[in-house]
Amino acid sequence: MVLSQGCEVFLKIVVNGENKELTGPASLEELIRQLGVHKETVVAEVNRQIIQLDKRSGLQLSDGDQIELIQFVGGG
Amino acid sequence: MTATLNQLMTQDTYQINGKIFTSRLLVGTGKYATNELMGECLEASGTEIVTVALRRVNLDKKGEKNLLDFIDPKKYTLLPNTAGCYSAEEAIRVAHLARATGISDFVKLEVLYDEKTLLPDPIATLEATTILVKEGFTVMTYTSDDPVMAQKLEQAGAHAVMPAGSPIGSGQGVLNPNNIRIILEKLKCPVLIDAGVGSASDVAVAMELGVVAVLLNTAIAHAKDPLKMAYAMKNGCEAGRLSYLAGRIPKKLYAQASTPQKDF
Repeated sequence: MVLSQGCEVFLKIVVNGENKELTGPASLEELIRQLGVHKETVVAEVNRQIIQLDKRSGLQLSDGDQIELIQFVGGG
Repeated sequence: MTATLNQLMTQDTYQINGKIFTSRLLVGTGKYATNELMGECLEASGTEIVTVALRRVNLDKKGEKNLLDFIDPKKYTLLPNTAGCYSAEEAIRVAHLARATGISDFVKLEVLYDEKTLLPDPIATLEATTILVKEGFTVMTYTSDDPVMAQKLEQAGAHAVMPAGSPIGSGQGVLNPNNIRIILEKLKCPVLIDAGVGSASDVAVAMELGVVAVLLNTAIAHAKDPLKMAYAMKNGCEAGRLSYLAGRIPKKLYAQASTPQKDF
């Protein structure tokens, strides 16, 4: 659901398996910034859909969204 | 003029899906004591392709340095793996996530079946290979050393087939060189040994069989002195490759003297 600007809402979301609460409306880009995650190297999924870097600011989070923030780590 | 070692090695290139490489050592980025040490070892190994994994960001460690702070994607081709995936669906998801970084469309496809042996699930591996090739990925598939499975993966379009020399991280070397020989005889696509090597001599043995390259991680990362081992692996790899190209003498049952046996 895309929320209208200016209307304050209370969102319960899940980020990387952890329950989070935030005051919205908030875009995915804002969430990533608030969490202090490096935006260029992180891959974001919302409800199992990959959201490309240039689409994050336009994606308004909805109550109940499941968000995954993934990055490269060492591996063989 | 005869070629120098450097000329021999730099002219001896190979391709994976049209991309040209010179170094025949692929090195993983896991299990190092520090990221700084990892960076030094990658440099020392001379590798051009490094494997990486994808995992959740640790939200409790804000501002922590990222793996990519230590690996320049302009210098190395990143080969994201699907390690830890136990179904084709999971592996395909991870491949999609990797490609979404915009850094690489290479994938080291690994679909496991058993946690203890880390042996691949052949059916799921084949299914995922077929799909990812169709989706335009450069697919380098980890498999057992079964020659039939290797052929099936090539038929599915794998850009490289990568049989394990022995179980991942086991350091047992190439346990069944005959299967690797059969795979090399049957396949036209690049064949790499992926996993199981423990020392520079293991790499040399693998390269002498004629594989295109060797992929390793633990053997360097968990060596007592990883940096020295990285240099050793580079030299072992080059020695094995040159030995393969040079052509070994046949093994004989009886002695053949190197020194004239009369007129002294």
